[in-house]
Amino acid sequence: MSDICRWLNVVISSYVNYKDEIIKTILFKIAVLFLLLFPPQVYAIHVISNITAETKSLSVAQLRRIYSMRQVHWKNGSPIVVYVLASKNPLHQKFCKQQLRLFPYQLDRIWHKLTFSGYGVAPIEVATQQALIEAVKSTKGAIGYMENLSEASDVNIIKIDN
Amino acid sequence: MLTSLKLIIRPSTLSNYIVGTLCSLCIACSLNAAESSNEENSEALQVHGFIAQGVVNAHNSNYINADESLSLELTEVGINASYQLNEDFRLAGQAVYLNGGNRYHAGPRIDYLLLEWDAFHNEAWRASFYLGRVKNNHWLYSATRDIPFARPTIILPQSIYLDGFRDLGMGGDGGAIKISYSDDDFGEIDFNFSRGKSAISDEQSEVVIGKFALGNLDHDLDMQASVYWRPTFSQWRFGFSALDSSFAYDRAQVDNYFDSEFEFQFYTVNALYEGEFWQLSAEIAQQRYVTDGFYFPEFHRDNIAQGYYLQASYKVTKNLSVLTRHERFYANKDDKNGSELAEISGGSALSHFGFQNDNMLGLSYDFSSNFRINAEYHWMQGTARLSPIVQSDPIANANKNWQVWAVQFMYWF
Repeated sequence: MSDICRWLNVVISSYVNYKDEIIKTILFKIAVLFLLLFPPQVYAIHVISNITAETKSLSVAQLRRIYSMRQVHWKNGSPIVVYVLASKNPLHQKFCKQQLRLFPYQLDRIWHKLTFSGYGVAPIEVATQQALIEAVKSTKGAIGYMENLSEASDVNIIKIDN
Repeated sequence: MLTSLKLIIRPSTLSNYIVGTLCSLCIACSLNAAESSNEENSEALQVHGFIAQGVVNAHNSNYINADESLSLELTEVGINASYQLNEDFRLAGQAVYLNGGNRYHAGPRIDYLLLEWDAFHNEAWRASFYLGRVKNNHWLYSATRDIPFARPTIILPQSIYLDGFRDLGMGGDGGAIKISYSDDDFGEIDFNFSRGKSAISDEQSEVVIGKFALGNLDHDLDMQASVYWRPTFSQWRFGFSALDSSFAYDRAQVDNYFDSEFEFQFYTVNALYEGEFWQLSAEIAQQRYVTDGFYFPEFHRDNIAQGYYLQASYKVTKNLSVLTRHERFYANKDDKNGSELAEISGGSALSHFGFQNDNMLGLSYDFSSNFRINAEYHWMQGTARLSPIVQSDPIANANKNWQVWAVQFMYWF
């Protein structure tokens, strides 16, 4: 919620002249009240890995390398098994934009090139978020993503450093 | 600049050696892999494929067919498998069936069949070696030119992705090296190198040199290299490629043409921008094409051709994109309107054989994550890139202005 408030403040400030402090404060309070009355169902996307993985944090650049299949081994040398949802899946699209800061079509382009030219393999695609979580739980070296942390048992949550 | 090297091992012997080595390695590694659990095997094996069918029509040209009728000769089907033999070795192969009308000969092909050795890797570096039939991975769309959903348009820019040279430009039997470096400061850098030889079928020979040349066209080992760079978190990517290749023509006992050697050097520079709504790409190419013999024994021609294209696509909605492209190609950079070519040929060549320009407009609509339709219209000027490439046909290619349109449905998994 504090992130949303900060964001609201920035948005309101950018539209209202800096001299109109009173109007700015009133607008901000109305917006916060609205958010308190009607809280949006916003979940952050979390990167998860198999419980045996030693890596507890990754930079955005490292995560990009893993999902663009440039880095296919963990730091300790064991293979990374990458799981994803279909490219039109809303959760996959959110993951690409929020965590990887890539557009889904950019990943599709990389994966198609690898898969259909013989120069590599694409991540393993599963049909649902539940299947993705189960695959990460049961596969050594696996990495994936999920939206609702309440379902996150028996997996590592990987911290993404900006 | 790259120069031709002649290997002591003859190419045919080399191909046999490669296939033999691949088989031995596969058997050895399969025995090893058989010890793995079934669960691991299910992740080790990946199977993918695609099927695409379209309608295409060329007006004022024999680009697709001789009678310029509406054609279904726009079929592309493929299936591939990748099997991780152990932590360091992977086997992969793809078979395709292609039918593009007169653009290239119709039929099945082994697109690639290779053994990958993941020789070195850490968090920043990765070095892989590929042995077998490898695809050309050097130009912006060369590795996916036959993959309908992984290329920007149905008909690619002919200045670079020349349909008549499809089987030669696609790759060859030999090997490739890929070295990748990733760093938070420098971004992503890729270096690719390959060396190989393409077998030229009689049908491919006819597409390149025409049906009146009765001898054999052979491709010597070629050498290609490319470098790509994407700055850290940038939406731009830049690349450079170089190719050096040579061909030999052995005339038949009774033949209209003579023994000859063709030398071909090809350089490209490219840029790609990937935005949320806009995508831009451009490639500039220069090729040196040396002919010794063929028309008569003392014939010698050293020609430099140039071409480029600029392409932009815009995402109108989540599933709909529009795309436009502007392309220019000059067969001789010093004779851009072909007037000199027409003059010295004594009437066997027309001035529009000296260039080929294309302005195109296209649409792409995604029905789902793996089902798409592409449609496009090309306004062409000039016939420099139409088959047969070595000896243009003044009757079939009589029209300077011609048009092509195509619609293709594609599904992949």
